[in-house]
Amino acid sequence: MAISQCFHCAEPIAAVDSFSTFIDGEHRPMCCPGCQAVAQAIVDAGLTSYYRYRSEPASRQQALVPEALKGFSAYDLPEVQQDFVHSQNGLEEVTLTVDGISCAACAWLIEHKLKQMPGVKQAMVNSTTQRALIKWLPDQLKLSNILNEINRIGYHAAPFQLDSEELASSRNSRRFLLRLGLAGFATMQVMMFALALYAGYFTDLETEFRDYFRWVSLIFAAPVVFYSAQPFYFSALRALLSGRLNMDVSVSIAICGAYIASCVATIQGTGEVYFESVSMFTFFLLLGRYFEQSARRKASVSASNLHKLVPLTAVRLTNGTPEEIPAKRLVLNDIILVKPGEAIAADGKVISGVSGVNEAMLTGEQHPVLKRPAEQVYAGTINLEQPLEIQVSALGQDQLVAEIMRLQEFAANSRPAIAILADKLARYFSATILTIATITFLIWHYFISPEDAFWITLSVLVATCPCALALATPTAVTCATGLFTRLGIISRTPGVFEKLPQIDTVLFDKTGTLTNGNVTIDGIRLFDEYTEAEVLEFAAALEYGSLHPIAKAFSPYLSSSLKANAIRHFVGEGIEGVIEQKVFRIGNAAFCNCSPVDAKRQWIYLSCDGKLIAAYALEDKLRADAKQTVDELKREGFGLAIASGDNSRHVLEVAESLGIEKVHANLKPADKLALISELQAHHKVAMFGDGINDAPVLAAAHVSVAMGSGTALAKNNADLILLGDHLHRFTQAVAIAKRTRRIIRQNLAWALGYNLLVLPLAVTGHVVPYVAAIGMSASSLIVVSNSLRLLRTKL
Amino acid sequence: MSIIYVLIPIAMLFVLIAVGVFFWAVRSEQFDDLDRQSLSILFDEDTKQVKPAEEQDPQP
Repeated sequence: MAISQCFHCAEPIAAVDSFSTFIDGEHRPMCCPGCQAVAQAIVDAGLTSYYRYRSEPASRQQALVPEALKGFSAYDLPEVQQDFVHSQNGLEEVTLTVDGISCAACAWLIEHKLKQMPGVKQAMVNSTTQRALIKWLPDQLKLSNILNEINRIGYHAAPFQLDSEELASSRNSRRFLLRLGLAGFATMQVMMFALALYAGYFTDLETEFRDYFRWVSLIFAAPVVFYSAQPFYFSALRALLSGRLNMDVSVSIAICGAYIASCVATIQGTGEVYFESVSMFTFFLLLGRYFEQSARRKASVSASNLHKLVPLTAVRLTNGTPEEIPAKRLVLNDIILVKPGEAIAADGKVISGVSGVNEAMLTGEQHPVLKRPAEQVYAGTINLEQPLEIQVSALGQDQLVAEIMRLQEFAANSRPAIAILADKLARYFSATILTIATITFLIWHYFISPEDAFWITLSVLVATCPCALALATPTAVTCATGLFTRLGIISRTPGVFEKLPQIDTVLFDKTGTLTNGNVTIDGIRLFDEYTEAEVLEFAAALEYGSLHPIAKAFSPYLSSSLKANAIRHFVGEGIEGVIEQKVFRIGNAAFCNCSPVDAKRQWIYLSCDGKLIAAYALEDKLRADAKQTVDELKREGFGLAIASGDNSRHVLEVAESLGIEKVHANLKPADKLALISELQAHHKVAMFGDGINDAPVLAAAHVSVAMGSGTALAKNNADLILLGDHLHRFTQAVAIAKRTRRIIRQNLAWALGYNLLVLPLAVTGHVVPYVAAIGMSASSLIVVSNSLRLLRTKL
Repeated sequence: MSIIYVLIPIAMLFVLIAVGVFFWAVRSEQFDDLDRQSLSILFDEDTKQVKPAEEQDPQP
């Protein structure tokens, strides 16, 4: 049925009458009126270079729902605005989170579209955090106009309040960048003079110039030691105060010790200087930490973007009269009215009304859940069919969404397992080195030659400096994380690199993982004289404006000429409407007064004036790369199985087409958990999942993988997130992890080996200090360049 | 050789300026979104063509 691709969103077009937009001198095909309107708005604004430079297609436009657009006016209420709009010099300022930004071109598009609006003074869009900072003149423009304008070019924006924690973390990471940059500049300079000094050992550098170079190096190294290296001192102090040793203790001692000794040498004009080692060491360490921190920050930013899911206003019923108020002013036991299409503003119990609620944000399940009186609903979920009256039972931090965000933040801030391991290693290492250095000093001081004691102790400290060891894992993990990011894989817990190579069994959830999770029409049976095209148009007209996932399957067939009137939704049954004076019904068999055609697949029926005219088979299609991934995994020798909560027939079908033999169907969350713990007894299991029902299993699995389109809760429990939903990225991730593990082992072996080799030489006074410095720098450089090999991995 | 007593302080001055520029760049949030900045050069040429038609309204 598919003719071509939509120029805007790259979805296949199956429309009966085609939509198109004139872009860059050509009529480009569009899949739906939504995409057409958006593309037209972009062209009208003269922003067609978006299409030239974007690296990802835009997200598909749902037919613009009028209710959603009207909702923006609530943001103009001063009471609502006071939470997130700040006034400054007569300008209003707001931060928005924007859905649907897929690449830098999107950010450019939104910025320029907004800058064309009179009254907008500044618009800055960040494509990494998916946020926009906008300043405007309040007397010329309203916030709802801005939100509407963003909506017109196909993105969905919502105001957003930065919490203090995130502000602090962004300030922190900026300070980190300053430290890093400063260390980089200084290192370059100091290295330059160090080269001259190295050369001075072999040729005859006059003492006058040597001292001059040393003084200059001293000045350049000072900001590195006093400013850039601060984080290490604080961490070391914290560790010491709590009675522990960590890597930062020996790092701090090495930095300070080497710097002080070098200063002494410079002032006295004797001995050796280590300014270049100090600067370079600090720079490399900071680099590793910076990448680690920015990866973690990314995760926490996406967590706080969840805030916008909860609407800011609510309609409160006081003695039956509705009144729109800011959601913040709700109190427990208030009754709120939620109209179809609206998000629920607070957790609560239904007290009247029956409606389907889309809980996809929590469960990943697009199918609406039927809510009857006395049933629990959650803030942020969307009411689909009938108005609901809800009694508020939880507010603010007690709501489920807030709980999810807290979990996410917690996960984002916890220490990765591999770092803990490295820390443990460092603790023993530092303790050993410090003891050996002290003993060396005492022995040389009292028994051999007191005047050499200080310099030999220093060369012990410098030669055995833990820098290579400290760099061994972070640099490798940093490179591997970078590689992951390039492939669209997010590793939420750096421990992934240890755990992935151990996996021998992979367990898949079906819906949303092996399949797309989107319903499509897979076959039509006709029972009357109408043609296939006509019945599709009827169905699309009836389903227009409905938020049910099934409606989405019909939306490509929407015709601009056919309208359904007097549409009535029957909860859990179907939709009735009048087209050309005939009453059409679309829904389940009972609703359309007919008997089911075939039990094997999911059918939906269309009747006209009580007579069945067509039936549509619905199907959840396999992901394009599912087969390829399964084949690859089989070739690699993984055990594969499907664990699904779905009824067995469809699951079997999927398993058969993919060639997976072990199938467990009809599983409740508890059954899944039992299954996985049974498997975990003998195997290391990786679990794929996407819904709230998978959350406990994901937490239990050795490595858990969530799809990028999955729910917040699933992602929160996952170790790996596959953005862009490419399943075969998993096999690449395993390959990278194996390589990373190999490289970390090489690094550790090299660093430990070098230190063990040089220690006895240094203790006995056979290592000249400049050799110690060169050895230390070389061992760090070898570790860093070994880790950099990861980036060249071909996939 | 004694010229280096003059040249090196000048080099230090340049480094100081470079560090100053870097600090300014970080403080003005230019490093917050690296994908975006690397692409902006592609777009800018195009906006100039658009500007005369679309953005001629000088604001007070």
